[in-house]
Amino acid sequence: MSEVEPRIRGQQAWHRLTRRAFLRSTGLATSLTALSGLSAVPALTSEGASGSAPFLSEDDTEVLTQIVERMVASDASGAPPVRETGAIAAIERLLQQLDPSLTQDLPLAIRLFDWGPIVFDFTFTRFVNMDAEAQDESIRCWMSSRISLRREAYAALRNLALLGYYSQDEVWPGIGYRGPLLKEGVGS
Amino acid sequence: MIVSLSERGGDLALTADVCVIGSGAGGAVAAAELAEGGRSVVVLEQGPHWAARDFSQREDEMLPKLFEEGGMRQTLDGAVQILQGRNVGGSTVHNLCYCFRTPDAILRMWREEHGLEELTPEALEPSFARVEKELGVVQIREDEVNELNRIARRGAEKLGYSGFVTKHNRKGCVQSGYCLLGCSYDAKQSMLITYVPRADAAGARIYTGARVARIEAPGGRMKRVVGHAIGPDGSLRGSFEVKANVVVLAAGAVNSPDLLLRSGLANGGGQVGENLHLHPSVIATGIFDEEVHGYRGIPQSYYIDEFIDLESDPHSGAILMPIIEFPGMAAATTPGFGRAHSALMRDYGKTAGLLVLLHDQTSGRVRSGDSLSKPSIEYELEERDAQQIAEGLLHCAEVLFAAGARQVLIPYKPEPLMLERGDDITEITRRGARHGQLVTASTHPQSTCRMGGDPGSSVVGPFGECHDVEGLFVADMSVFPTSLGAPPQITTAMFGDRTAHHILENWKRFTT
Repeated sequence: MSEVEPRIRGQQAWHRLTRRAFLRSTGLATSLTALSGLSAVPALTSEGASGSAPFLSEDDTEVLTQIVERMVASDASGAPPVRETGAIAAIERLLQQLDPSLTQDLPLAIRLFDWGPIVFDFTFTRFVNMDAEAQDESIRCWMSSRISLRREAYAALRNLALLGYYSQDEVWPGIGYRGPLLKEGVGS
Repeated sequence: MIVSLSERGGDLALTADVCVIGSGAGGAVAAAELAEGGRSVVVLEQGPHWAARDFSQREDEMLPKLFEEGGMRQTLDGAVQILQGRNVGGSTVHNLCYCFRTPDAILRMWREEHGLEELTPEALEPSFARVEKELGVVQIREDEVNELNRIARRGAEKLGYSGFVTKHNRKGCVQSGYCLLGCSYDAKQSMLITYVPRADAAGARIYTGARVARIEAPGGRMKRVVGHAIGPDGSLRGSFEVKANVVVLAAGAVNSPDLLLRSGLANGGGQVGENLHLHPSVIATGIFDEEVHGYRGIPQSYYIDEFIDLESDPHSGAILMPIIEFPGMAAATTPGFGRAHSALMRDYGKTAGLLVLLHDQTSGRVRSGDSLSKPSIEYELEERDAQQIAEGLLHCAEVLFAAGARQVLIPYKPEPLMLERGDDITEITRRGARHGQLVTASTHPQSTCRMGGDPGSSVVGPFGECHDVEGLFVADMSVFPTSLGAPPQITTAMFGDRTAHHILENWKRFTT
């Protein structure tokens, strides 16, 4: 797939904008850059957030679920399928707990990810309507894009997916992790 | 007395002889020594106060509890992740307990190149001795070296590389392996269970959830510290002021310069926030045929110093150290996605990490955020340092293969380099380690309020007092004149002790 650079202000391409100018224009990169640093996140337990409105809409949750499925490729590895773990609920819970300044643009990033194949890559099919192979190819386009915003979105969603999934107890036996060693009463 | 301002709410006005900002390796030591020396002390800690029972050994629960910005602090361009403690006890709660005194060659360089003639091993001995006694620093026993570290040792010894089993500060360790997530057994002798209780017992008033907004020193003399009580969600729950003639700033090498810049203090030489060193580190991961379970046992006990010779070159070099990552962290720091990534994760239990930690010459900077935003951290790895990281990774691969690894993963972005046994490992140096090319982290930011004899090129003098503000001291890793080139816990604590004793010995100066 060839990559189409969105044009703004005449002939100027996104990636030629200075970072500062782009931050002023959207603020999106700030949030995505911060999220792309996720290797430590608030409690990703399998419980969903309780008593508060969902961070993600139903549509965004479906897109995210399909992104997680391709990121961890649980279909090929014999590991627990994403939809049978608490990974998505855990990510939802995380997003509700993070500082809003870090997460406010994530729904937009998810929607961009869904529509990215059409907007950037001339494939005329939304991410959620692709088969697994095409979805992997779409993700590779984000991963290796010349546009830093796309790479940051990839990093943010990738890290959310991996942390959400591999923090699930049911995933651990398949990777050889034996889990905590706590004496009774500690960590409760 | 340890009080959560988050829970207390409301406004607070206090007076003290000394206000200590931060409760990590520098601040906790200073607070305890000052309180036991008879001074009234208020400690302001932005993070919460955890206890052993709170440490669940689950990375998903603990990392956000223990780290600045929920573990998401990073350089402005996202190239380096920066892990710093944000809780009572600071980074000593999550560190891995390497205990090294400041290398003599580094002290010599600081004396000769930074005008710090006072920093001799003999002059610092009393502070080192007090700190090591309180932290219970002892040699790690041979039977405490776990499989992860035995692998590093086996590889290094086969290659004839210099290395040794280190000292640490644990007592009664059960070797569960979760030091990085806080010790559930109170075996790690962190500030949380050593100096903080000592400060508390000596009458220090310790406030958590206290975010300092500004230090005020009209006319170049300390007056007061003001800030906000903050809730766990960052909400403002009141304000506080602490009037004190002396302030010891020990908020770490990112937050300390940020606070000075926001306060418009101590920057006559334009050096506040400059000279940032990170000890950047990159992990090479060996994959073995047999189970390793490197997350069990003492995480770091062996230390390969073959590639750093501070006596002949105190400015550069690299150290190789074993390292563990729990599954979520390992997944996030292993580049790639999909089937290839999943296949790598299935071997998680058979992996052994070896990191290269760089004694960096690259200088970055910390720039201030306003009172409601985060400081920005700028750092771009210079070419000579990048070359050293690449060479260090090559040596990591050598050691891991020599120890029996069948594959070694180098974390190039966006997809890793996977080397098989017998491959030409010079592929690493051919690819290099340009800024942003590899997954890189830092747990040792330093030097942003550096110590020196010249006010034009440094922020604080030889005892940590700011050149420009009488009674304002800095006592954390930000005072290191250069990159330390060694694990920093003992040096940081030494500076906290030394600063406190200097204040006590010169107390009359601060009351007139």
